[in-house]
Amino acid sequence: MKITRPFKILLLSGFLIVLGLIIIIPGGKWARKHVDYITAVTDHPLGCASCHLYIQKNNFVSKLINADYLSPFKMVVSKDGDRLYVVAQERNEMLIVDPVNNKVLNHVRTGVHPHSIALDESGQKCYVSNQWSDNVFVTDLTIMKVTDTLKTGNGPAGLALSTDSRYLYVVNSFSNDISILDLQSKSEIKRLAAGNNPSGIQFSPDGKTICVTSRRGLIAPYGTPLLTELTVVNSVTQRISEHKNIESAHMMENIAFTPSGDLALVTLIRPKNLVPAIQVERGWMMTNGIGIIELKPDGRIIQLLLDEPNAYYADPFDIVITPDGKKAFVSSSGVDYISVINIDSVRAIISESSPDLLRAFSNHLGISSRIVMKRIPTGSNPKGLALSPDGKKLYVAEQLEDRISVIGTENLEVMKAIDLGGPRRITVARHGRRLLNNAGHTFQNQYSCYTCHPDVHEDGLVYNMASIDMGRNLTNTQSLRNISDTPPFKWNGKNQTVYKQDGMRFSTVLTRTEAFSYNELDAISAYIMAGIPNPPNLQYNPRGKLTPAQLRGQVLFERTHDNLGNEIPIFNRCVTCHPAPYYTNKKMANVGTLAASDDSILFDTPHLNNIFASPPYLHDGRAATLEEIWTLYGKTEQHGSVNDLTKMQLNDLIEYLKSLGDPAYEPKKTDIYKASFMHN
Amino acid sequence: MTMGFPVIFFLSCSKNSLNGRIVFTLVPGKLQDLNFVTGDFWRFIPRAQILYIDPDNPDQSAEVLTKEFFSACSPEISYDGRFMLFSAQKKQNDSWQIWEMNLKNLKTRQIITSGENSVDPVYLPDNRLLFSKLVLNDSLKAGYSLYTCNLDGSDEKRITFNPNTYFASTILNDGRILSISRQIYPEQEKEIYMVLRPDGTKAELFYKSAEGKILISRPRETNDGKMVFIESGNANNEADNLVSVSYNRPLHSMTNLSSEIKGYFCSAFPMHSGRLLITWRKSDADRYALYEFDPESILPGKVVYSNPDYNLIDAVIVEKRNRPRKLPSEVDTGVKTGLLLCLNINFSGLQSSGNTFLLPVAARIEVLGIDSTLGVVKVEDDGSFYLKLMADEPFRIQTIDNNGHVLKGPCDWIWLRPNERRGCTGCHEDPECVPDNRVPLSVKKPPVSMPVHVTKVREKGVDLE
Repeated sequence: MKITRPFKILLLSGFLIVLGLIIIIPGGKWARKHVDYITAVTDHPLGCASCHLYIQKNNFVSKLINADYLSPFKMVVSKDGDRLYVVAQERNEMLIVDPVNNKVLNHVRTGVHPHSIALDESGQKCYVSNQWSDNVFVTDLTIMKVTDTLKTGNGPAGLALSTDSRYLYVVNSFSNDISILDLQSKSEIKRLAAGNNPSGIQFSPDGKTICVTSRRGLIAPYGTPLLTELTVVNSVTQRISEHKNIESAHMMENIAFTPSGDLALVTLIRPKNLVPAIQVERGWMMTNGIGIIELKPDGRIIQLLLDEPNAYYADPFDIVITPDGKKAFVSSSGVDYISVINIDSVRAIISESSPDLLRAFSNHLGISSRIVMKRIPTGSNPKGLALSPDGKKLYVAEQLEDRISVIGTENLEVMKAIDLGGPRRITVARHGRRLLNNAGHTFQNQYSCYTCHPDVHEDGLVYNMASIDMGRNLTNTQSLRNISDTPPFKWNGKNQTVYKQDGMRFSTVLTRTEAFSYNELDAISAYIMAGIPNPPNLQYNPRGKLTPAQLRGQVLFERTHDNLGNEIPIFNRCVTCHPAPYYTNKKMANVGTLAASDDSILFDTPHLNNIFASPPYLHDGRAATLEEIWTLYGKTEQHGSVNDLTKMQLNDLIEYLKSLGDPAYEPKKTDIYKASFMHN
Repeated sequence: MTMGFPVIFFLSCSKNSLNGRIVFTLVPGKLQDLNFVTGDFWRFIPRAQILYIDPDNPDQSAEVLTKEFFSACSPEISYDGRFMLFSAQKKQNDSWQIWEMNLKNLKTRQIITSGENSVDPVYLPDNRLLFSKLVLNDSLKAGYSLYTCNLDGSDEKRITFNPNTYFASTILNDGRILSISRQIYPEQEKEIYMVLRPDGTKAELFYKSAEGKILISRPRETNDGKMVFIESGNANNEADNLVSVSYNRPLHSMTNLSSEIKGYFCSAFPMHSGRLLITWRKSDADRYALYEFDPESILPGKVVYSNPDYNLIDAVIVEKRNRPRKLPSEVDTGVKTGLLLCLNINFSGLQSSGNTFLLPVAARIEVLGIDSTLGVVKVEDDGSFYLKLMADEPFRIQTIDNNGHVLKGPCDWIWLRPNERRGCTGCHEDPECVPDNRVPLSVKKPPVSMPVHVTKVREKGVDLE
């Protein structure tokens, strides 16, 4: 029989259809099952891009789908008000902006992850702290070139220049100290101890006192009241005059002095980590406010909330005070608002109120109605603030908008926005970053992801997550940096993906409001999973070459036999559970740290990259230092075989652990470990 | 004929499209004998009907939507502007039930079929609705509790369990319910706006009016973060107030928008322009009419529609609105209990600060049920206590000193939903106080189970974060 052409076509089409059905139907079923597992829901759209495109770390693909944003952070204004000098943190640049004509005039390169700028008296030179390069760049503004590099401590952040431009004070946020740089000899002449993760710094108006704020609280056993240090330095003697402890507060990002110099105001967060996390209503998780420090002998420290009973102003970041001392502006970066504070009202409250009443005010949501004059909306994630020299204009760095907004300080209205020329399109990952930094997905905007994970790291606090009963399951906040390849997530390892971590249960037990939509989940997951790098470990492993002590420690870490020659069981060797490159085998383990208040579960093996920067340790934060993991809590030998080690050997092991950095900075390792979600 | 068809088509469309129309309840005769306790002649009025008008042509466009009903009241529009809930009596002497109308084809369907009155329906954001239903009780006075159900009437769930009566609910943008709540046992003359989550958890005070004022309308949220509602001055023979409070701080932000206006208000509905669609009358002898009120003005504003023989009340606008947040629920009906934590029974707010040596200190608390004591519990040295109580059972707490004398209380009725975990900062505390950041001593031990004579409650374990 002759087969005609149409029949051939029909036959072929039929074959293809059948083949397609054979592939599509089981393929579709497989895809549904696969997506259901990844997302932990049964109705997420079957789009492949969410997981297989937006989270790509491949440089070529990543460059295609992502964009090179500026992310303005801190800034300063020139003396004549004609120029803004803006840190573009993501681009590693300093932008020189003409705020009158709304133009970016120059881009000057900086080191890695620039933080702050200080302008010298002449206006011809500026200093930029490079937080991930451990140095300060000196830029000649007449030729727009970096002319010098000054070595600092680790993680240089806030900068303050003495009035005679002789000394530059650099807050080292990772090494917890302050470098005093002599700008004539271009060298560090002194190092002063500061608080935990210090950040902001400011000279008093008379130039005699410097105050340095800290972000993290002092490490202490759970249950101890939270104390965060404000370091006071005598700039004449260049010595610390006082370590002030601010109670029940942390994340003191920045500080400003009143022109009269009698008060200093800091931004701060008052967490409720010691209270069971059973509700968000009535400020049961976080409150946000300012601290007022009286700068006189026996001066008081008062805290007042910026929040209102049904509206919270999460993540206060920067603060500036007008030259007349009448108004303070606070950037509430988690809610995209500037809060305007009437300083006279603040003075009235602190002068007329008893100490007990002032203490009560620090927990009262009605006090803001007495001190806040107005809330001014801004673009996404307002961070650094700067005032024009006449005090009439407030410049706001909208970090995730690539824009500077300009607000009139008298009429308290937005005058204009200066586009810094960043990419126009908002990528999926950028959208995810905005969501992570915004409190809009928490009930009444009380806190954002950033609140507990500042800089996408962790806040150093242990929370009472109150599961079955209210006193159970203390949880040490974990870093979100570079976690994409280290599932499962959460200490109990119950979340196999970031999708599940941030999904419905997250909204039920943590944010207490509507869950992220699928598009939003895709965006947050894209941001986290594409990889948020750790800073380079310049503190303990600056050149990728281990010190002798670290090398000895590495031997101990990888040892198979103890000091007496006995073979260490494979399951009890450090390297078994903590293999490179992430130093986790992604499996659950019992390391003998189960507390009476824990449910009977194993714990997910945490990754150890940059572990030096994450105290306290263990699932409930009981170990204040790495040493304590074994000296206090390792006696059962379930967390590695260590009890035969001498003190010197333990010291070496700790030195090695401190040297562990991000895989991006370490020699390539090829082992890949499959995650396990087994809980027994 | 072909020329006529498009004309007929457009006329038909415009007749059936109610977008932008004002819908209201029309009440014949005098509006009197409003009973704010039982809801009679207030939330459900015999012979009332629901009408709509075109605000651009009100006198020519008035149409009755609920002709097939003996009485119909309380229209509420869905968030997409396509449907309307209302309560109605099909025939005289029928109980009031909940109905829904498709605003395109004007067809109705019954949602709730119940032996008792079901009134004041409002849409929830998750394809459910909320309404008040009469609950008869052998030992207590009958009152209206809040219920939720699916839009087809299935999965009906009661969510309030205290001996209070609830009317005139609305849904806030944050997803919570705001409702007029009045305690009926022991009877109190005062009512408040109570706020609670749609699963009945976290019920608390939102607003209470001044002495002598009665809350009489659904509170409405404006685009600029205010709540507007009516406080009646009838108790004192005073004029009504059209009131706004800030959502951010409702207890201390009351503004009387009608201080210069004498007369009586019935309802207020926010318009996109920033004005309010109000129903108002100058005196008892007049009828309520519709006005467009400018909050900046001292006058009721221009008349939108009036009828000399009828009262116009409860006006709403048919339009799309932003859907409120869908709040997650911690309720698990497989669990029989809830947990209550109080951080410091001796803390009541700013007034107790600095006076700690002067105020008597509570050493114990007594938990009181409707008609029995549930037990006396010692509080910890820091004033905290931690209880496990039967879910969906109302209770109150009073504080006792070391000599057994009652110091304070009892407080208002509380209930816990199954698996709810609830916290209080203090006792009768200032609701604007947040907790101190410290570990309460009471959570270092298991909770005290109430009633104390019940030794074991079988329930499934719950695994939360």
